Amino acid sequence: METFLQLVITGILVGSIYALVALGWTIIYKCSGVLNLAMGELTLLGAYVCLAFYTWGFPFPVALLATLIVGFVLGLLTERLFLRRMIGQPILAVIMITAGLSFFFRAVVGFIWGTDTRVFTPPVFPTEPVRLGKMVMGQVYIWSFLAALVLLLVFVGFFQYSRWGLSMQAAADDEMAALSLGVSVKRVYALAWAIAFMAAGVGGTLLGNINGLNISVGYLGILVLPAVVLGGLNSVPGAIVGGITIGILQNLSGGYLEQLTPGGVKDIAPFVFMVIIMLFRPYGLWGWEKIERV
Amino acid sequence: MYLPSGVYHETYRADHAWWQATFVRAKMAFLVLLLIVGLPLAGNYALSVANIIGYTILSAFGVQLLIGYSGQLTLGHAAFIAVGGYATAIGMLQYGLPYPVSMALGAILAGLWSVLFGLPSARVKGFYLIMTTMAAQFVTVDFIITQYVSRVSGREQSFSLPPGTITVGPWVIDTELKVYYLMIALVTLCTMGMANLLRTRVGRAWIAIRDNDIAAEMMGVNVVRYKLMAFFVAGVLGGLAGSFWISSLYVVSPDHFQFSWSVWLVGVILIGGVGSLHGVIFGSIFVTVLLEALKFAVIPLSDAYPALSTGFLYIKEGVFGLAIVVFLLYEPRGLAYRWQQLKNYFNLWPFAY
Repeated sequence: METFLQLVITGILVGSIYALVALGWTIIYKCSGVLNLAMGELTLLGAYVCLAFYTWGFPFPVALLATLIVGFVLGLLTERLFLRRMIGQPILAVIMITAGLSFFFRAVVGFIWGTDTRVFTPPVFPTEPVRLGKMVMGQVYIWSFLAALVLLLVFVGFFQYSRWGLSMQAAADDEMAALSLGVSVKRVYALAWAIAFMAAGVGGTLLGNINGLNISVGYLGILVLPAVVLGGLNSVPGAIVGGITIGILQNLSGGYLEQLTPGGVKDIAPFVFMVIIMLFRPYGLWGWEKIERV
Repeated sequence: MYLPSGVYHETYRADHAWWQATFVRAKMAFLVLLLIVGLPLAGNYALSVANIIGYTILSAFGVQLLIGYSGQLTLGHAAFIAVGGYATAIGMLQYGLPYPVSMALGAILAGLWSVLFGLPSARVKGFYLIMTTMAAQFVTVDFIITQYVSRVSGREQSFSLPPGTITVGPWVIDTELKVYYLMIALVTLCTMGMANLLRTRVGRAWIAIRDNDIAAEMMGVNVVRYKLMAFFVAGVLGGLAGSFWISSLYVVSPDHFQFSWSVWLVGVILIGGVGSLHGVIFGSIFVTVLLEALKFAVIPLSDAYPALSTGFLYIKEGVFGLAIVVFLLYEPRGLAYRWQQLKNYFNLWPFAY
């Protein structure tokens, strides 16, 4: 029982980071209909930028803030240079342009920072573990969870209450109506990419704090796909719930199924789960149901 | 079908001939001469590049069939290539089968494996199908092959193929030149097979499904059956590619069949042109030669900037990514379209209006 609880709680804590990245993915899809395969590379970029600022001696919150600003600018640039020309192109073209960007971004990161695993030195969060009853967990997990939670709240609040957030919701709901009411849909697209870059950057930084930072942190970008499929692609609460569920599921399968097989279950369990969801409920938890029979 | 003036057929035989004009016959004779005699004279380096091109062509055929001809988006083709490669290696090493036999078995096994992961295509399409095929990639290569198949009879990570394992009849495939001739034979066979298959009932049905699946269903095409058939043929082609590729390797390991290779193949057909067999060949040649040329561009600079040679792998990936992006933005129909335009220009010259 303790193992179970421990696994579930670790899953929730890690899952909150997945939720943050999944939120970024969903924002892009919801606002502009782009299915983004470059999410993992966005997390890599953000994480390494933050690491660079931190090793130059900035305190961590300042470094994180700087990462957010860099992410914002990069997001605007990416949208303006590449994605804006792809509006109205077939789905394969749009997906492959993000795949091309993912090759490019990963190459940039790999070329500048190399393949070695890097850690935040000195550690950002205290290293001594916290005891909750019989469970033990690293403080870094708890702090990451809190940071992810705060950012999730900020983003959700932004959508619900700010003028720009509302215009994003309007554009996602009905582009034509939003245009005729004076919403600048171009700005909405740009903003969506900027937010995705920021969310991914913070997600990557937090994950890099937990496991150390190397190029495989980019795997996070593929891992969010099961999360968004579970949530239903275009639902923000769905992405958050999906991310946390995938985190729990990954930890549980790592904890229980790993003994039955030679290994590697933890990495592929989310995908098996995703295939099962798609067979029975392709529109996920709260996605728009589009029925098309062939 | 355009024919130059002065060419007219008097028999059905001539009308159905593969090559109908003298110019085309001369062109094909030149191509055959170049491939059989010319390239082998160019030395081992050129041959090794040609082999990589051939492997890319063979691998990309399946992707072209699925994406370009039946409209089934896939991002997991490396899984089927891996199944073909591993099945061939196991057939030869564990059961002592001859190479051609285990190649055929590997291809069929890869086809069946592909059908298994094509089953969801009966229910989902577009982005969801991409997710399913990605799942196929991770489940097959990163789990089943890495964790189970690689450990068959006490191996740790990879299969080593001692030199002389791979023989076709009395010939031992052990030099670049022999691999090259094997490659030429396979590529010719697959190209002709594909080109003819696409003209049959099956090929037309795939194209109908690609253009509009509901309309195809209305016209009496059994959509699910033909989709699964497309997955089967694509898997067989992938399996052939995999079992060809192990002939030029000393070890087979899961690293050869990673997710990035799947994305790479889709990039190749995008650069070459979606929905065109010329596109597969042009794309493979363009990408491989571009990346080899990059090597020659980097070598003189690497004395001044050593970082260039240590990070060369990343430069390669970055250039490939940029190439995809640039082609999608500026030449979305790929090299095959440009080739067609070029031919038209010369056909119509000097009255291009």
